[in-house]
Amino acid sequence: MPINDVGYRSLKSKTESSLFQWLAICRIGVQLALKSKWVKRIMLAAWLPVTYWAAGFFFVEKAIVADQLSAMGQGVDLNQLTSLALTESITSRFSIFPGVDDLQEVSRTGDIPQIRNTVWRWMLMTFFRYPQAILILFLVGFIAPSLISQDIRSRAFLLYFSRPISRLEYIFGKICVPSIFIILITTLPALSLYIIALLMSPDISTLPQTWDIPMRIIIATFGLVIPTSAVALMLSSLTQESRFANFSWFAVWGLGHGAWLTIVLATSLQMGLPLFDPQVMHSETVSNWSAISLYNCLGSLQSYIFGFETFAESWRGIVALFGITTFSMTILYRRVSSPM
Amino acid sequence: MTSLISLKQITKSFKSLRALDGIDLEVSPGITGLLGPNGAGKSTLIKMLLGLVQPTTGTASFLGFDVRKEGRQIRNRIGYMPEDDCYISGLSGVSAVQFSGCLSGIPKTESLRRAHEILDFCDMKQERYRMVDTYSTGMRQIIKFASAIVHDPEFLILDEPTSGLDPEEREKLLKRIRLLASQMGKSVLISTHILPDVQAICDDVVILSQGKVRLCEPLVTLNRTAEPSFRVRVLENMDPFVKALESSDVEVSKNPDGTLTVASPSPQLSETIWNAAHQSGVSIQSLIPARNSLEEVFLSTVADAGGTGEND
Repeated sequence: MPINDVGYRSLKSKTESSLFQWLAICRIGVQLALKSKWVKRIMLAAWLPVTYWAAGFFFVEKAIVADQLSAMGQGVDLNQLTSLALTESITSRFSIFPGVDDLQEVSRTGDIPQIRNTVWRWMLMTFFRYPQAILILFLVGFIAPSLISQDIRSRAFLLYFSRPISRLEYIFGKICVPSIFIILITTLPALSLYIIALLMSPDISTLPQTWDIPMRIIIATFGLVIPTSAVALMLSSLTQESRFANFSWFAVWGLGHGAWLTIVLATSLQMGLPLFDPQVMHSETVSNWSAISLYNCLGSLQSYIFGFETFAESWRGIVALFGITTFSMTILYRRVSSPM
Repeated sequence: MTSLISLKQITKSFKSLRALDGIDLEVSPGITGLLGPNGAGKSTLIKMLLGLVQPTTGTASFLGFDVRKEGRQIRNRIGYMPEDDCYISGLSGVSAVQFSGCLSGIPKTESLRRAHEILDFCDMKQERYRMVDTYSTGMRQIIKFASAIVHDPEFLILDEPTSGLDPEEREKLLKRIRLLASQMGKSVLISTHILPDVQAICDDVVILSQGKVRLCEPLVTLNRTAEPSFRVRVLENMDPFVKALESSDVEVSKNPDGTLTVASPSPQLSETIWNAAHQSGVSIQSLIPARNSLEEVFLSTVADAGGTGEND
C-alpha cells in the first residue's frame, strides 16, 4: 500500500451553497476551451484593434483640446473647428456606417461635451460592431459547438444530472462559457478604451460628460452575449458531432448575411448605383431585409444601445434577435432534458 | 430496521410501454443486488430513484425524501456510477474526479485533495494524470467509481460496476464496495448481470422482471434449500452408492460436476448417507449442506414470471 494511501475516510468539509454549482460547469468549460491554440490566438487578436481605436481616441481628444484652446482665446468659429474637420473626414470615409449623420450634426453645434460624448459613443459602437463582432463569430464558433454535443456523445449528461444540479443550472453554466470569452474580447477592451480616452482628456470634467458610455458598453455586451450563446448552444445540443454544430454555426451567419448581400447587390443593380453606395444601403428594400442577417440584427441592436438608431429604425433587428433567442432557448431546454 | 427505499404501487409508463408495473419494494441498509433480464425496468427504476424520471403513479421515498419533489436532496446524498461509458472529454482522471466533487458542492481545492485521496483508495497511480479519453474501459470504470464516492455519499447506486474489469480488478472493486458497506456504513444498490458479484457481496437480492418485483429476499434465505439436502462427492464408482441411497427412500440427483445432491425431509439424512456409503463400500470425499445457486433462483424466478431469463 502506498504511504500516501490513507484508505477511505469520511468527508469532513462542508459543501458549498448549491447555488454555485453552475460555476463548476462554467469553470471546466473555460478550462477546456483554453486548451485550443486557436482560441488563444483569437483572444490575442481581439486586443489588436484596441491599439487602433486608442489612436483614434488620441486624435479625437487632440482635436477637441485644440478647439477648446482656440475658443478660450478668440471665441468659437464653428467653421474652423478641428473636431468638425475630423468628423467630416470620418463621415466621408465611413459614409455607410450608422450614426455618421449624428456625428456631422453634433460637430456643427460646437458644443464640446456633446461632441465628445457622441464621438466616443460612435467609436465604441464601431468597435463593437465591426472588428469584435467578426471575432466573436470565430471565437464562439470554436468554443460553443462542442459544449453540449460532446456531453451527448460521451454521455456525460449522466454525470451531471446524477448530481444536485438542475437543467437550468446546467444550461446557465454552459452559457457562461462563451459569455466569458465574449466579455473578454468586447467588454474589457471597450472599457479599457473608455479609460484610455478618459486619461487622454484634459480634465476630470470629462467623466460626467461621458458617464453613460460604460453603461452602454455593459448593455451592449448583454445584447451580444445572450443571442449568440443561445444560438450556438442550441446548435450544439442538436447533434453529437461538434463539427456539425460548428458548420451550422458558420452557416447560420454566412447564409443570412450572404442572402442580405445578394439583396444589396440586386438593389444596387436596380438603382444603377455602386455596391454599398449610401443610397443603396439606406434604401427601403435593403433596410427591410436586413433582419435576415444575424450580423445585421446584432449591429442594429448595438446602434440602438449606443444611441445612433431609434427603436423605430432598429425594431426589426431587435424583434428578430428576441425571436431567435427565445426559439433557441426553448429548443436548448428541451434537448437538454431529452437524454433522460 | 427502517427502509432506505420505499416504493408503493409505483408505475412508470412511456407511451404504450409500461416500464414499471405496480412495484412495491422496501430496501433495507446494506448491500442489495438488483437483478433482472434486459428490459426488466432496472434502469428506469434507478433513474426514478435519482429523481430524473417521475413515476406515473404511486409513492416513492428514498432516504426519507419524496422522489417526486425532492430529487435534489436525494442526489446530494447519493453516489451514482452509471453503466454507460460516460466521461468528460479532455480532462485528466484526477480532474474528472475533482470536477465530480465540485458538482456535488465541494470547494475546488478541497475537491482536488479529496480526488487524490479517493484515487489512492482506488489504487490508481500515475495514470490519474492522463486524459480520460486515453483510458481503457477498466480504468474508466475506476474513475466512474471514484467519481461516485468522492463526495462521501450515504447511498451508492452502482450500475454494472464490474463490467470491463479484469478478474483481479473485479475482486479489488468488490472488496472496496464491501469495505464501504461494512466499515463506513454505506448502503449500496448494485444493478448487475454478473451473478457471482451479487453472491459475493450482497445481503439482499431484488429480482425485477417485466416491470414487476418478482423476488425480494435476503441472500441467505435464497441460498437455503426447500428441504434438508447435502452435496456428496465419493471417491469410487457412485452407482452402488446411488442405489443404496434410493433404497433408503431419499431423493438423489447427479450434478454435472460429478457430485450428488441428496435430499430428504428426514432429520437423520446425514446418518442415512453414511449408512448407504457403508453398505455400498464407497468412501465419501466430501459431504456439505447443499445451497441453491443464485443462478437457479434467478432462472426459476424469471421463468415463473414468464420472462426469458436471458442473462448476458
